[in-house]
Amino acid sequence: MTRTSKQTASRNVKPGEDFEPWESHNRVPLLVIWIALALGVWGTALLFQDQSSYSVAQGERAADEVAAHDAPEGGAALFLANCSTCHQPNGVGVRLAVPPLQDSEFAKAGPEVVAQIMLRGIDGPIRVKGFTFDGHMPSFAAALDDDEVAQLASYVAGRFGGADATLGRDQVGELRDAHAGSGSWQGGAELAGLVPGLPTQPAMPAMAQAGPDPAISDLIFAGKGDVWSCASCHGGLGQGAESTPRLAGLSQGYIVKQLRDFRAGERQNEQMSFVAKELSDFEIEGVATYYAGLRVDSTARPALGGDLARGERIALQGDWSLGVPACFSCHGPSGFGVGADFPALAAQQPAYLASQLAAWAGGHRNNSPLGLMDRISRALPESDRRAVADYLASLPAVPAVEQKAMARIEGGGDEL
Amino acid sequence: MPITMGLLLGLSFVVSLLALSFLIWAIATRQFALDRAHAATVFGKGGADGPDTDGTHLFDTTGIDRVSARPVRLLILGAIFWLVLGSTFGVIASLKLHWPDWLNQAAPLTFGRMRALHLNLVAYGWLSQIGIACMFWILPRIFRTPLRAPQLPVIGFWIWNIGVALGALAFSQGWTDGEEWLEFPWQLDTLLVLAGVFFVVPLVKTARAREVDHIYVTGWYFLAAMVWFPCLFFIANLPGIHYGVEEATVNWWFAHNVLGLWLTPLGVGTAYYFIPKIIGKPIYSYSLSLIGFWGLALFYSQVGIHHLIGGPLPTWVVTLSVVHSVMMFIPVIAVAINQHVTVARNLWALKESLPLRFISFGAVMYTLASFQGSIEALRSVNTITHFTHYTVGHAHLGAYAFVSIVMFGAAYHIMPRMVGRDFAHPGLIRLHFWLVVLGFAIYFFALTIGGLLQGLAMLDATRSFAESVILTKPWLEARSVGGTMMTLGHILFAINVIGILRKPRAIAQSAVAAE
Repeated sequence: MTRTSKQTASRNVKPGEDFEPWESHNRVPLLVIWIALALGVWGTALLFQDQSSYSVAQGERAADEVAAHDAPEGGAALFLANCSTCHQPNGVGVRLAVPPLQDSEFAKAGPEVVAQIMLRGIDGPIRVKGFTFDGHMPSFAAALDDDEVAQLASYVAGRFGGADATLGRDQVGELRDAHAGSGSWQGGAELAGLVPGLPTQPAMPAMAQAGPDPAISDLIFAGKGDVWSCASCHGGLGQGAESTPRLAGLSQGYIVKQLRDFRAGERQNEQMSFVAKELSDFEIEGVATYYAGLRVDSTARPALGGDLARGERIALQGDWSLGVPACFSCHGPSGFGVGADFPALAAQQPAYLASQLAAWAGGHRNNSPLGLMDRISRALPESDRRAVADYLASLPAVPAVEQKAMARIEGGGDEL
Repeated sequence: MPITMGLLLGLSFVVSLLALSFLIWAIATRQFALDRAHAATVFGKGGADGPDTDGTHLFDTTGIDRVSARPVRLLILGAIFWLVLGSTFGVIASLKLHWPDWLNQAAPLTFGRMRALHLNLVAYGWLSQIGIACMFWILPRIFRTPLRAPQLPVIGFWIWNIGVALGALAFSQGWTDGEEWLEFPWQLDTLLVLAGVFFVVPLVKTARAREVDHIYVTGWYFLAAMVWFPCLFFIANLPGIHYGVEEATVNWWFAHNVLGLWLTPLGVGTAYYFIPKIIGKPIYSYSLSLIGFWGLALFYSQVGIHHLIGGPLPTWVVTLSVVHSVMMFIPVIAVAINQHVTVARNLWALKESLPLRFISFGAVMYTLASFQGSIEALRSVNTITHFTHYTVGHAHLGAYAFVSIVMFGAAYHIMPRMVGRDFAHPGLIRLHFWLVVLGFAIYFFALTIGGLLQGLAMLDATRSFAESVILTKPWLEARSVGGTMMTLGHILFAINVIGILRKPRAIAQSAVAAE
């Protein structure tokens, strides 16, 4: 039946085996031609535009380099960005904590002295304008290049010390070479050799030269049993990399708390939980003491494409429209850290910082005291998390804890 | 305006587009008069004298098929063997993604090796072989002359299959070249190259002896594929030449071109032949065929680098690839109009012919897979879909829903004509169709949705990486269900093909009685 109906409707008859396909000659529909033309224009435009974005990026980079060298107010800008959070914008310092620059003996000694202090940093007691300070100044050798050190030193010596002399980039280069690897100035006592006519400087406390306990040292550099060494991820100097944090200069109390949290499961990380479960209290404290005392130049650089100006604003002033306080209001001036609860942020690896902010925001890290960071991180959009992480990575590294404290802890090792 | 990379690229792109338009215009106008006259002489005699579903026209009227039958039968059987084996490995690999502790007792059972086995067996064992079978069936027919040197492809068949089997053995022992799509150790590649020579020589001889002046569009795709694939395969597999970033570039240039310049011409060429063949009407437009073919030839070769978006390559290489990927809209739209219009005007044929159901479904999937691929290559979309199961869904839309399903239809069309009798149980063919179509639908939608969710989770820094893995679990389970249905369909396919090859007892007896 179906066969008859098919054959009457001759159009729909199935072909014979002899039929071989062929092409009829309908015109190409206009729509196809228009689509092809439009795509051709789009493709050409994209190829051109891709190149222009590349040239724009190149141009911006060149402009940045020129600006860094030729900006007329470079010294003032650098001072605000690098010095003013501790020494204050007017250079008067912080009573009993940060020495003043205004009229200080060191600023008056000229830009060369200032540059040498900036390149090496200071550990140990120092007497400035009749007051003794026992703080720590980080080295800016890694954070600033020769030109920036030269501008900054000339600016500080000129503005606060009234010195007329200026310093050139090449001279800074020579100073940098001369002081390479010499570590920080050991308080005012060592600086007295550099600056003649200083008032009497306090003596450096005796230092214990003993290294860490051999067992701790083995743990850090060789691992123990199933546990790999700390250095294998955090680097030989505890400098960190990418999403592995910098440990050098974090406070001992903070490291101890984090390792205990990993061990107790209050902070989650597959690697660190495994490692921390194998550590005794003695080992945790030994490792923490070791890293807290390390002084290592920053290896972190902005890497997340964050907006540095925005990051600086969040770090220094916060953003109250989001309910976010300034980072430095708790983590200390320049993000050097305060006590066991507020770790140092300066020079921390940006990928790590951003990942931790994201972990708090997503509820995967919640061992912050009073849940402070949980709330702050949730308020920050993703671009701000990158911005602030990148800004903090651009800061000079944290100064180590007092040598005095190191000596006390290591000397006390015998009593344990 | 200074001479920049962008200027050079943009200009050469414009020049190549103009050259392409000119080429198509020139061929279309030059061939126009000649072809019409030709078509009248060749096709005029063919009369449509009745449907072929009732078995009255199952016999070879030209004597051409009889010569091709032996190599084609062997190639189809070999292809089905690897299809069943390869898709079984695929199901095992899929199950391992949500049962990670299952079958992990020995290294050959682990996911990495199962996946390599699946990919290579279906790509080289199944798709390539069934595609070559279609070449050997279709090319002599459109050239109107019997296959030349028909004993060579039989030798080629054995070398190819020994090569694939040794390759499978090598992967399971962990011996690979270590790059996706190039897992075959280069020493074993030489076997495939040798087999390729045995396949290409008889086809070239047949093409030279053809009795028609005008080559039908299927012939362009098949002849071009015979040039493209050996070039790709040879360059990408040469040992010790490419290192580092360059190696990755060559890897993906090859891997994507295997799809676009080998499997696609096989599938599109086969669909271009069988759709009008089964319906009995010409395809819509010769000019569109030209755009489809030459567009593919120009644009596809640069497409593969979109797999390396975000990688450490020069930006312009990636951008060029993105542009070419999107330009693929042009040839795909051309092929779509040509094939779908012919089917849409003859929907009655879908009811009549089971093979056409497979083939036109596959042809529609070609359109969709290509559109999806062009969009996926955009940086904004790729940001989400890269490194997710979405990409796997897309790969199967192209390689399975398009090429494999077209090939099922082709085999169902070829087998009755080869053996001279109809399928005994058309119901099993219908079951095969619905199993693979429904199975694939489950497979595709699960991976697409799961992949998008996975991509969004990976981009959200506030969610842990583990979360982006765990959320895919139900979608992966659905994928295993779909994949199992597809594999069951393949077993039915094998039963159908073996069933028609076995001589029914009644006929055998009557043949003896007649003598």
